[in-house]
Amino acid sequence: MSDKTEVNLTGVKQSKGVWLVKVPKYLSQQWDKATDKGEVGKITIGKKKDKTEVCFSLNAELSALGTVGEKDGTPQVPRDHPFTMHSVGGRTMAVFSQSDTDEISLEGMVVHRAECRPVVNDNYMKLKKLQIEESTKPQRLSQQLERAVTTVFKPVANHDFNVEYEKKKRSEGKMVRAERQVVLDMLFSAFEKHQYYNIKDLVDITRQPVTYLKEIMREIGTYNSKGAHKSTWELRPEYRHYQSAEEEEEMQTT
Amino acid sequence: MTSLGSSSSSATEYTVRVPKNTSKKYNIMAFNAGDRVSCSTWTQARMERDMSARRIYGEEETTEGAAGSEFGKKQREEARRKKFGIVTREFKVEDQPWILKVNGKAGKRFKGIKKGGVTENASYYIFTQCPDGAFEAFPVHGWYNFTPLAKHRTLTAEEAEEEWGRRNKVVNHFSIMLQRRLREQERGEDEEDEADKSGKKKKKGGSGRGGDLRIHDLDDDLEMSSDDSDSSAGEDGDSKSKVKKDTGKGKAKKKKKKSNESEALEDSDDGDYEGLEVDYMSDESSSDEEPEKGKPTKGEDLPKGIDEASESEEESEEEKQNDEEAKEEEEEEEGKKTPVQMEKKKKKDSSGESDSSDDSDIEGETASALFMKKRTPPKRGGGRGSAGSSRTGSRPGTPSIDSASTSNTLRAAASKLEQGKRQTQGPGTDSPAAKRLKMEPSSQSPVPSGKSTPQPPSGKSTPSSSDVQLTEEAVRRYLIRKPMTTKDLLKKFQTKRTGLSSEQTVNVLAQILKRLNPERKNVNDKMHFYLTE
Repeated sequence: MSDKTEVNLTGVKQSKGVWLVKVPKYLSQQWDKATDKGEVGKITIGKKKDKTEVCFSLNAELSALGTVGEKDGTPQVPRDHPFTMHSVGGRTMAVFSQSDTDEISLEGMVVHRAECRPVVNDNYMKLKKLQIEESTKPQRLSQQLERAVTTVFKPVANHDFNVEYEKKKRSEGKMVRAERQVVLDMLFSAFEKHQYYNIKDLVDITRQPVTYLKEIMREIGTYNSKGAHKSTWELRPEYRHYQSAEEEEEMQTT
Repeated sequence: MTSLGSSSSSATEYTVRVPKNTSKKYNIMAFNAGDRVSCSTWTQARMERDMSARRIYGEEETTEGAAGSEFGKKQREEARRKKFGIVTREFKVEDQPWILKVNGKAGKRFKGIKKGGVTENASYYIFTQCPDGAFEAFPVHGWYNFTPLAKHRTLTAEEAEEEWGRRNKVVNHFSIMLQRRLREQERGEDEEDEADKSGKKKKKGGSGRGGDLRIHDLDDDLEMSSDDSDSSAGEDGDSKSKVKKDTGKGKAKKKKKKSNESEALEDSDDGDYEGLEVDYMSDESSSDEEPEKGKPTKGEDLPKGIDEASESEEESEEEKQNDEEAKEEEEEEEGKKTPVQMEKKKKKDSSGESDSSDDSDIEGETASALFMKKRTPPKRGGGRGSAGSSRTGSRPGTPSIDSASTSNTLRAAASKLEQGKRQTQGPGTDSPAAKRLKMEPSSQSPVPSGKSTPQPPSGKSTPSSSDVQLTEEAVRRYLIRKPMTTKDLLKKFQTKRTGLSSEQTVNVLAQILKRLNPERKNVNDKMHFYLTE
């Protein structure tokens, strides 16, 4: 295992305590819309009769659901969120961070867990209703068509496809036999890249008629009818010189 | 910015910031409560991704071209996979577990596995307090549960399954790992070593597992193990393990020995042979064990009777998976007569492994019985002759210890009866006898009546006559009249009437039969002797 990263333990050494806060999705979405400075709201920590109360209040400008600036019509994200605090319950939780450069550092230990709950009011209910509506929409939808689909017939051969094919064939024309030497060069360079080739692939590469190509291959290569590389052509041993990782090949022309 | 509240409910306000441009991704490292991990004790730590799954997922092409590669192979493979609907999950480095090593080589190791579904419905944020009093919230990217990795040796999956199957029977769990270690040692040891000490183990275990509790699930063994574990229960953990090691080794051997006779004991319904002297293990056991020769090893003695002896011989033979080892063992243990050995060899050859044919069994049975009879009497006789009365006194209470003495006396007796026939001491068939007795459910009922009682050495080496003499003539008469089994014969010569001890009766009868060499017939699965004159 390479790159064993040394963990930066400074956070833990300083016993930095952090809070692990569970935040609802919509709230985190709003936070993403925050400005660069990153201020999203305020936390109020108060002590009321021996109980610590923590409350988070969202900044006003962030409470609009829609784009920033649009406030009317869209339900507002609730602003006040009391935190419910729990202790870590015996579980040791630490926070480690991984930077872009793959540096790992231990940021601190979790001392408190909290859940951010919204204050339940009508506004919140409306918001939730919207959410539920969205989530219950099925991903796939069946739609009824008004008119029957007439574009799909039952052709003997696909007309469009056929037309295309014929055009292609006509444009390319019959594959012309090139010079033997040229073809050999093409073949050898192809076999430099791979050892085994299908005849169809060779035809593709060399653009030669099959019979001509087979003739040449019979001369310089062998056909594997069995084995791992079935029905493939490869060069004869005397013509090939593969090195394990390199692609050197000695070519001997006839 | 903080503002102190002045009311009774003092409230302080802090700003919360969510930094936008963090290059760092925050993750949670969660430990189990029971592990009692304290991060403050860490002096140094290293963490890396566990890439062992990469082999499984990405079969990297060894040759990306040139030799051995085909044109378009990858595409073809992919198309093939799609056709069959094989969906290969990609190997994502992000999802691989972490390996955390704390405090260097000697420290702890943890494996952190990513917990899925954390960020699906709710987002976690880490709130840290900055020096200026404001809070900064960072989103949690992933959650990893870290568990400590065991440094001690553990059983593999197969071994664990085996042990699971024996969980009701194994009481001493320490010996499981001990045996495993011993096994591993054995594999590296010499043949000789194995033959000597663990020959028995192998014999017992077949696969060389050590005679732990392998072959039989007998209460005897469990008792032994529980005893040992009890004794060491009071000790500390470390010393316990050491003690276990020692006791384990000794125990293993003890068990082996014990298992020998315990097998016999199990099968011999009424515990008939509990008091029987054992003379076969004396040589070997003294060499490598405590002097507890114990009834261990030999319930199988000849006093049991010819039938049983022959049966048990057969059984143990069949049980032996390894012919050679059996032979070795026999040689080691007893140094008994070669005829018996040869006999056994022949039987082995003819009968093969466990499924030997009945015929060969029976063929060899009586012969071996006779041989065995011959064998042990010499031992006994000799013992008796030399022992004298001093040993006899100790006899009654502890039949085990005085096996030697009885054997000596019997040997003396036998030597008087038979002179030229004795050859070198062959392998001890007693333990094989014991095993055979257990393993092979023999149709022939074990033990004629007279064998159950322990034999106080009477010092008599020759049969004395009262009403009925146990002579060749008498036996001949019986056998001519009608075919009889050895049991029947023995019934005829009851100890009360002949004045002989049952052991002596058996021995003498065996000799007589040998001399007579009667014909054998199998009636109702019992070997009957008869003479035709």
